[in-house]
Amino acid sequence: MPTTPFPFQPMTDPATTSKQPTIFEEQAEILANVSYPGDQFILRLHAPNSAQHAIAGQFVHLRCSEHLPLRRPLSIMQTDRERGTIDLLAKAVGDGTHALRDQPVGTKLPLLGPIGRGFDLSDPDKHYLCIGGGVGIPPMLFAALSLPDPTRVLVLAGSEVPFPFALAPSTFLLPGIGGNTIMAIDSLEQRNIASRLASKAEIYGCFNGFVPQLAANHLLALDPTARAQRVLLACGPLPMLRAVADLGRQLQLPTQLSLEEYMACGIGGCAGCVVETEEHGQRYFRRVCVDGPVFNAAVLPNL
Amino acid sequence: MKKSSTLEVEFAGLTLQTPLVLLSGCVGFGEEYTRIAGFSNHDVGAVILKGTTLEPRLGNAPHRLYETPSGMLNAIGLQNPGARHVVDAVLPHLPWSETQFWANANGTSPEEYGEVAAIFDDSPVSAIEINISCPNVKAGGVHFGNDPAMAAKVVAAMRKRTSKPLITKLSPNNADIAEVARCCIDAGSDALSVINTLVGMAVDRECRRPVLANISGGLSGPAIKPVALWKLHQVYQVAAKHGVPILGQGGITTPEDAIDFAIVGAQAIGIGTGLFYDPLLCPKLLEGMDDYLQRHAIARWSELVGTLVA
Repeated sequence: MPTTPFPFQPMTDPATTSKQPTIFEEQAEILANVSYPGDQFILRLHAPNSAQHAIAGQFVHLRCSEHLPLRRPLSIMQTDRERGTIDLLAKAVGDGTHALRDQPVGTKLPLLGPIGRGFDLSDPDKHYLCIGGGVGIPPMLFAALSLPDPTRVLVLAGSEVPFPFALAPSTFLLPGIGGNTIMAIDSLEQRNIASRLASKAEIYGCFNGFVPQLAANHLLALDPTARAQRVLLACGPLPMLRAVADLGRQLQLPTQLSLEEYMACGIGGCAGCVVETEEHGQRYFRRVCVDGPVFNAAVLPNL
Repeated sequence: MKKSSTLEVEFAGLTLQTPLVLLSGCVGFGEEYTRIAGFSNHDVGAVILKGTTLEPRLGNAPHRLYETPSGMLNAIGLQNPGARHVVDAVLPHLPWSETQFWANANGTSPEEYGEVAAIFDDSPVSAIEINISCPNVKAGGVHFGNDPAMAAKVVAAMRKRTSKPLITKLSPNNADIAEVARCCIDAGSDALSVINTLVGMAVDRECRRPVLANISGGLSGPAIKPVALWKLHQVYQVAAKHGVPILGQGGITTPEDAIDFAIVGAQAIGIGTGLFYDPLLCPKLLEGMDDYLQRHAIARWSELVGTLVA
C-alpha cells in the first residue's frame, strides 16, 4: 500500500482547503421549464448565489423530487448574475431527471451550488476547443461564454436528437470543416463565437458523424503552430470522452474532461462518486464532486 | 439554533451539546461540510470521522453507490489515509471549540484494531467508535460483528490500548444483535451504536451486472428505519441493564424520527443519509425535538430516552 501521497485527500493542504469557496443551499424557483425533442428539457432557475459565484464546469446538486433520496448533479449551462438565474439542460433518463422534467414552473427545489473544480481557462495564449456531446454540451457553452476573447474559442457540439438550441448558418470559415457543415448555435454566433454541429441523425447542416471526428478533422487541418495553441475541453458520454482523450494524446494537446458518476452528498463528504486516476505512478480514487468534475485527461489512463 | 440545555445529553461520560451525531462516512474527515453556508458544528454533539484503518486504503472501485426506494446502497470500502496521517495531518486543523470529533476505527484483525486505538488514544478525539459492522470490505468489518466472540475480542483488544470511551457499532446483519451487544459490553464497550447498514445489492438489467463494483453494498436511509428501531429495541433491553447508552441511527430525516429513536432507547441520534437529503437538516431536527419536549412537558431529552410503553 502507498503511504504517501494519500488516497483520500481532504486536508492534505489545510492552507488551501480553508480557502475553498462557499457552497450555498438555496430554494431555487423554476422560472421556465421548456421541453425539446428527445426527452430534453431546459430549466431556468432562480438561484442567485449559484448564479453569482459559478464558473464554467461547475455543477449544482438539485433535489429533483421530495420523493427521491438523492439529489442529482447537473452542469451549469449559463448564468445571469444580474437576474440571479442559472440555466440547465437535462434529458429525462432515470427517476431523477423524469421527476425534474415534470416539475411545473413556480416550484422551488432545494439546490446546492456552485460545486466542483471548473475548467482552467486561465492561459491567455491558448485557444480553447470545446467539445460537447448531448447533455454534455451545457458546460461547453458556459466555458465559451466565459472567455473574454471570442476569437480564442470554438464550440463543437454533437447530438443524436435535435439540438435544443436555435441554429443558424455560421459566418466563420474553419479549417478542415467542409462547406456543408454550416449550421452553428445561434446564440454563440451572435456573440462572435464560432461553433459547428455533428450528428448521425441527418440534421441539416451538421457534420454526419461523431463530434470527436469533427474535432480531429479541424485540428489536423490547422498549421502546427496554431494546433499547438489548442486546449481541448470536453463533456459528454464516455465513448466521446475516450475519443477526445485519445485525440489529445495523439496530438499532444492539454485536455480537460468533465466526468460524471453516481453522487450522494455532492460536497466531498462520502467519497461515493469516485473516478480512478493515476498520478506520479500512483493509483487513486478521486471524488468527482470536489476533486472534479473537471480532470486533466493525463491522470485518467483507465477512463 | 439557540443553544438549549434541555437537549444537552450525557453519553459515555461525555457531555454532548445536542443529541445529534454526524455519522462516520458521511462527513469525510470533518472539514468538508463547513463549506456550506449556514452549516454549524454547534448544532451537533459530535462528528464521527470517516472510518480509519492502520494503513491507507484506496477503497472500492466505482460504482460505489446507487439510489434505491427511500434509501441508497453504498460500498465505499473504507477509503482513508491511515490512522497516523489522520492524527498528524487532519486532527490539528479541526475546529475543536465547535464540537467533539470522534474517530471510527476499523481493521482486519483484533491486533490492527488495537493499533488504531493506540494511535487515536494519543490524540484529541473524545471517543472512538469501533466499526465491527462495515459490510463493504473483504476482511474484518461485518465478519467480526456477526460473531459475538470475535466482536468481544476486537473490543477487548482496543480496551487494552485506550482509556477513551469506546462505542461499538453493531451490525443488523446477524441473527442475535442483543447477544453481540452483551458480549461487547462485557468486553469493555462504554456505549453502542445501532445500527450499521443492511447488506443489499442492485442490478443493472441492461448489462445484467451488479450496479456496485463490490456487488453488495450497505443500505441506508428511511427504508431501514423500522429495522433500525427493532434492532435498537432489542439492544436496549441489554444495554439499559448495564447503564450503557446507545447512539441510535437508521434513516432519520425528521424530528419525528429522532423522537421515535429516543423513545425506543437512543440517548444520541445519528444523522447520515439524511444529510444528503438536506445538509442543513440539523437545526430543523433540533427545533422539532425541542418542540416535542415542550409539548409533553419533558424537561430534558434524556428523560424521553427508553420511555416506550410496552
